[in-house]
Amino acid sequence: MDSFLRPLAAASMIVAGALASTAPASAQQAPIKIGIPTSVQLQVGRDTQSAAKLAIEEINAKGGLLGRKLEMVVADETENPEQGIAAIKKLTADDKVNVLIGGYTSGVTLAQLPHISSAKTIYLGVGAASPAITAKVKSDYENYKYIFRAFPINAAHQARALVDFINGKLKGEMGLKKIAIVGENAKWVQDLVPILKKGATEGGTDVTLAEFFDTSTSDFSPLFAKVKNSGAQYLIVILSHASSDIFVKQWHDAQVPIPIGGIDVKSQDADFFTRVSGKANAETVGMFAIRAPLTPKTIPFWDEFVKRFGTAPVYTGIGAYDAVYVYADAVKRANSIEPDAVIKELEKTDHVGIAGKLVFDEVHDVKTGPGLQNLLFVQWQKDGARVVVWPKEAATGPMIAPPWMSN
Amino acid sequence: MKRIAPIDIAGGILVVAFLALLPMFAASNYLTGVLTVCVIYGIWASSWDFMSGLTGRENFGHSLFIGAGAYTAGFLSSIWSTNPWISLPLGVVIAIAFSLLVGFPTLRLRGPYFALAMLSASAILQRLCLIFWEYTGGEEGIYGLDPLMKTPLHYYWFVLAILVVTVIVLTLLAQSHWGLLLRAIRGDEATCQAAGINVTFYKIVSLMISAGFAGLGGALYAHYQLQVSPPLFSVVVSITVIIMVYVGGIGSIYGAAIAAILLTLLTEMLRGFGEYRLWIYTLTLMLILFFLPNGLIAPLWRRLTERLR
Amino acid sequence: MLQILIYGAVSSAIYAMLAVGFTLIFGVARILNLAHGSFYALGAYAAYVLTSLLGFPLFIAAPLAVLIVAGFGVVMERFLVRPLRSSQLAVLMITLAVSLAVEQALFITFGSEYRNVPSFVADKLSIGGVDISGQRLLALVAGVLVLLGLWLFIQRTRLGAAILAVSQDPEAAQYMGIPTNRIFSIVMAISAGTAALAGVLVSPFLTVQPTMGLLPMVKAFAIVIVGGLGSIPGSIIASLILGYSETIVAYLISTSWTELVSLVAVVVTLMIRPSGLLGRRAAF
Repeated sequence: MDSFLRPLAAASMIVAGALASTAPASAQQAPIKIGIPTSVQLQVGRDTQSAAKLAIEEINAKGGLLGRKLEMVVADETENPEQGIAAIKKLTADDKVNVLIGGYTSGVTLAQLPHISSAKTIYLGVGAASPAITAKVKSDYENYKYIFRAFPINAAHQARALVDFINGKLKGEMGLKKIAIVGENAKWVQDLVPILKKGATEGGTDVTLAEFFDTSTSDFSPLFAKVKNSGAQYLIVILSHASSDIFVKQWHDAQVPIPIGGIDVKSQDADFFTRVSGKANAETVGMFAIRAPLTPKTIPFWDEFVKRFGTAPVYTGIGAYDAVYVYADAVKRANSIEPDAVIKELEKTDHVGIAGKLVFDEVHDVKTGPGLQNLLFVQWQKDGARVVVWPKEAATGPMIAPPWMSN
Repeated sequence: MKRIAPIDIAGGILVVAFLALLPMFAASNYLTGVLTVCVIYGIWASSWDFMSGLTGRENFGHSLFIGAGAYTAGFLSSIWSTNPWISLPLGVVIAIAFSLLVGFPTLRLRGPYFALAMLSASAILQRLCLIFWEYTGGEEGIYGLDPLMKTPLHYYWFVLAILVVTVIVLTLLAQSHWGLLLRAIRGDEATCQAAGINVTFYKIVSLMISAGFAGLGGALYAHYQLQVSPPLFSVVVSITVIIMVYVGGIGSIYGAAIAAILLTLLTEMLRGFGEYRLWIYTLTLMLILFFLPNGLIAPLWRRLTERLR
Repeated sequence: MLQILIYGAVSSAIYAMLAVGFTLIFGVARILNLAHGSFYALGAYAAYVLTSLLGFPLFIAAPLAVLIVAGFGVVMERFLVRPLRSSQLAVLMITLAVSLAVEQALFITFGSEYRNVPSFVADKLSIGGVDISGQRLLALVAGVLVLLGLWLFIQRTRLGAAILAVSQDPEAAQYMGIPTNRIFSIVMAISAGTAALAGVLVSPFLTVQPTMGLLPMVKAFAIVIVGGLGSIPGSIIASLILGYSETIVAYLISTSWTELVSLVAVVVTLMIRPSGLLGRRAAF
């Protein structure tokens, strides 16, 4: 009956935690509240919370912000828009947070936008990649000026990075001229694939197949067979909500004679390699940051995170840590927590973050480019080592072929 | 045929007045938002109860009509940018159209077959939404709907008024000659048929009425959330509604509405418990099945007011 | 198109394992078990716990997992379903509640992460140029063996004859001295066991996740409707039809259309022939 006791135990822990967190709040002034709407069930959600907590503790240890402590309030937005909206309403109307930092599913974030706007609360997205999110800032600045994306670079930028990988690495260095693209049926992928197709074709690469699959797909063998029949030499995969685990396992088990790589969010997880019994060997994954001296902050943050939470952070963790600092700096410069004043300062942000310099463009979207945030292509190799294979200047090793193709 | 007792009317007025005044005592409009969703669930639950509770044809695909109403609102307001007020009547019309479309082939089915057919029909629509993502927005659905009213409190009162009208209309129908026939169909369909009653016609029309109110609720919901997405069509929505009706007491209509409000409120209050809150539904359902096979709200109300009738 | 032939066979075998138990318990005990998908999920999770967490070898973990789930099925039937059997809707709702409870319990205990079960066989085979993992072939072979075994059990043993008798006329069977309640327990054990076995067999290539029971449940539903509620041969034929048509749709149109196949099949069947292909409201 263990499973029936667990909720009770957890409930009592939550109560105890709530008591503990409210007790020392009797400082001179009310704390500045940071609301975290995220998918708490998932690694992206847990790391968002952990990293935000880390940043908040660091800032509080140095005396807080404008003499006030920072405090974190979490609400579960799941991967469902209805829950996402409820989470925003709870945080803005009930908890009255001063800023929102979070997000994962683009569809949920898009659904939340009007509710964030009507609550007039600053929102720093750290998980969702759809360009449609910040497009609102452009079309209706007055209502949507509260929306910023601190992380990751949007799907269009990711697509261009991927095009660079296809044309530079695959075609340029390896001479692969035929690729197939498969992606899950979701907003950010639908935004990304057309750019990808166009870019690859213009670069002289032949796209033999482009297909979407359902996020609940559990059998990829027909897809692999189609890719194989299309004559593709490399398979670009784009997925986040579908099961990367199933995809990679079935690829490995059927020994599909085509290497795979792309943007595969769940295979960015630190434990991904062990989770699939090493079957991710030779998969190349686009990542926004890894443990490398990208900026002076990368390695210290990375090691501290691993020490504290026992696992390497996924991308939302990196984003959330930076976002807390970006907000705190803007507040400091504005010397106020009034949204309008803070927005003015946020727009001027030039912050050295974990993954690169963090600068917003005119639609409040994070910029990409040399020295800024970028997409690195990292290959899982033997025993779970992660090797950067592209861009060339960041590469830490050569790209390998899947074991069944190497001879 | 028994009329509505004065005590029921008095109780109803009291409950509605309480619900209407409740948000005014809250510090923020958070509660107003939560109550708006509660009341919309009330519309869905009472509309389910009208058709399924009275005729005994358990509809496991009520989300089909809810989603149809909501997506109608989504298309109209967001894509074709019409006046948001057009969404409500058209949401009703489209939901009724869907009820005709699925009602004719499925309503002659008995027992679990009707339940399964409706469940499949709603799941098919959900799938189609995903497959034709170019038009429906896919997984993310349609966003950017216009709100019907600027003030949340006004919208809440408006939705509450619609719930009241829904419950009154459905209760009156259920107590009329019509409702009697539907109950008779539940008892023995073959005999009704033999007695010259056009059973199919009555079932279809009651499904249309049920679907119409569900569609209205769907459109109201869409204009509250300001977006619509495929989970609205999911079996989970249908099942949630059925559980609410169970708790309210099948066939009572007002019981379904109140149970819907209470259960939705309860789950939102338990938000801090994350996923644990879904246990509430499960455990409530199990307890009710074993100890209160007739539900909680309606039998309780009858018990309490027994001596006043 | 050898690919379609082989992969279709694998899908069909897994579907058949799921559907047979589902239709059997309906045919015999008139229980429309909405918790059937939970057996499948529990089987997979039991395999995960036994192998990955407790370190049992697979050949012990697999039968143990099946037994545990079969036991769970028996307990569920005895204490939750049997007291409510007088009302079909109550049975529907209680099994629904069980499936929700199982899903939530899995969520709370294991989280929503994907869990990994090691493969039984790591080899890849090549049949006429079609690559297929050994694990899938194992699922196919096991599925065929289980169905064959079930058929022999029902046709050739005394207990099987008793099960048949109860499915044809429970009251008459009771008068003949057949302990119907015990038969229900046995059938529930078989039903839960086959579903769990399907879960165990697919877990290495499908990974394990709390909501994994829902989709197979819908499939089992669809198959049973198409084949005829309560008919085992009907559900096997329907498994083949759906398994193959899904594979064909996936190859010829798009994988995103596959989930639609079974749903449309249900609606079409219910409209044209509600009793299904071989539905006679009997087990055989």
